Amino acid sequence: MLQAAGSFYCLVMGVHALAREAPLPAHTDREQFEQLVEQHLNGLFGAALRLTRNRTSAEDLLQETFFRAWRSFHTFRPGTNARAWLYRILMNAYIDLYRKASREPEIVDQDDVDEFYLYSKVQESDQYKRAGNPEEAFLETLLDADVKAALESLPETFRAVVILADIEEFSYKEIAEILDIPIGTVMSRLHRGRRQLQVALWEYARRARYVGADTQPPQRESRRDRPSAGGGR
Amino acid sequence: MSEMDCEHVLEMVWGYLDGEVSEEEYLGIQVHISKCADCGPRYQFQRRLMVLVEQKCREGPVPEALKRRLFRLLEE
Repeated sequence: MLQAAGSFYCLVMGVHALAREAPLPAHTDREQFEQLVEQHLNGLFGAALRLTRNRTSAEDLLQETFFRAWRSFHTFRPGTNARAWLYRILMNAYIDLYRKASREPEIVDQDDVDEFYLYSKVQESDQYKRAGNPEEAFLETLLDADVKAALESLPETFRAVVILADIEEFSYKEIAEILDIPIGTVMSRLHRGRRQLQVALWEYARRARYVGADTQPPQRESRRDRPSAGGGR
Repeated sequence: MSEMDCEHVLEMVWGYLDGEVSEEEYLGIQVHISKCADCGPRYQFQRRLMVLVEQKCREGPVPEALKRRLFRLLEE
């Protein structure tokens, strides 16, 4: 708590220092800014949590994003994609605040893993085959914490794209703009990220099985249909 | 449009589920997976997996205290 308060204080002081260099937007813009940001705060906070993997850092990142958005609010053109604008600020703040702090090891792509890695594993598994519907039986063993941990185990480059596509549901074009990378790079990172996510999910499911999955009933959640194509995104 | 083969359909899985294929491709894939006993279940599983990842990784609302702190700073 003290740490969070301390980092918050530093951020405030940092912003005040920056405010001397660039004047803050006019007082009258405040209401407009609040309205625009408020509807995206939950999503931004969730993305910050998955990116930083840490609650205190996620709060700091959200605050930094909020300040940067406020400082550059005069450059935002009403009618353009506010959500993508905010996520772009979030990603840049994340890179500035955290990427230099921890160099990640070289990304090793698993060439032997295909798009249907998990499906094949489930089909080959005697345990899941014994269930009437092996795919469903497997998916029901996955707990929230397992899926979050599997996502957070991805290298940062892949994790960012998977978060933007699969949780925040941005289109490839929007992700390309948010991360300032070509669409082809978005697609290759997303596909590789999803392959690695499947490998991680399989590992988590296997581990869960060894620690008495029978005594812990799987969680059930309501199923929601996802729009699949036809300009839904 | 000629009928798609399995290899091509399976390559397109992410584009299809992300809504990032052309309408013609979308319809071609849809016809194929509705009939193909290999590709159909694979597509179904990937879709279920994507929904599950989204549901389980989505966070609750931003804490009220944090939200209040953020907006209070605009008043300074």
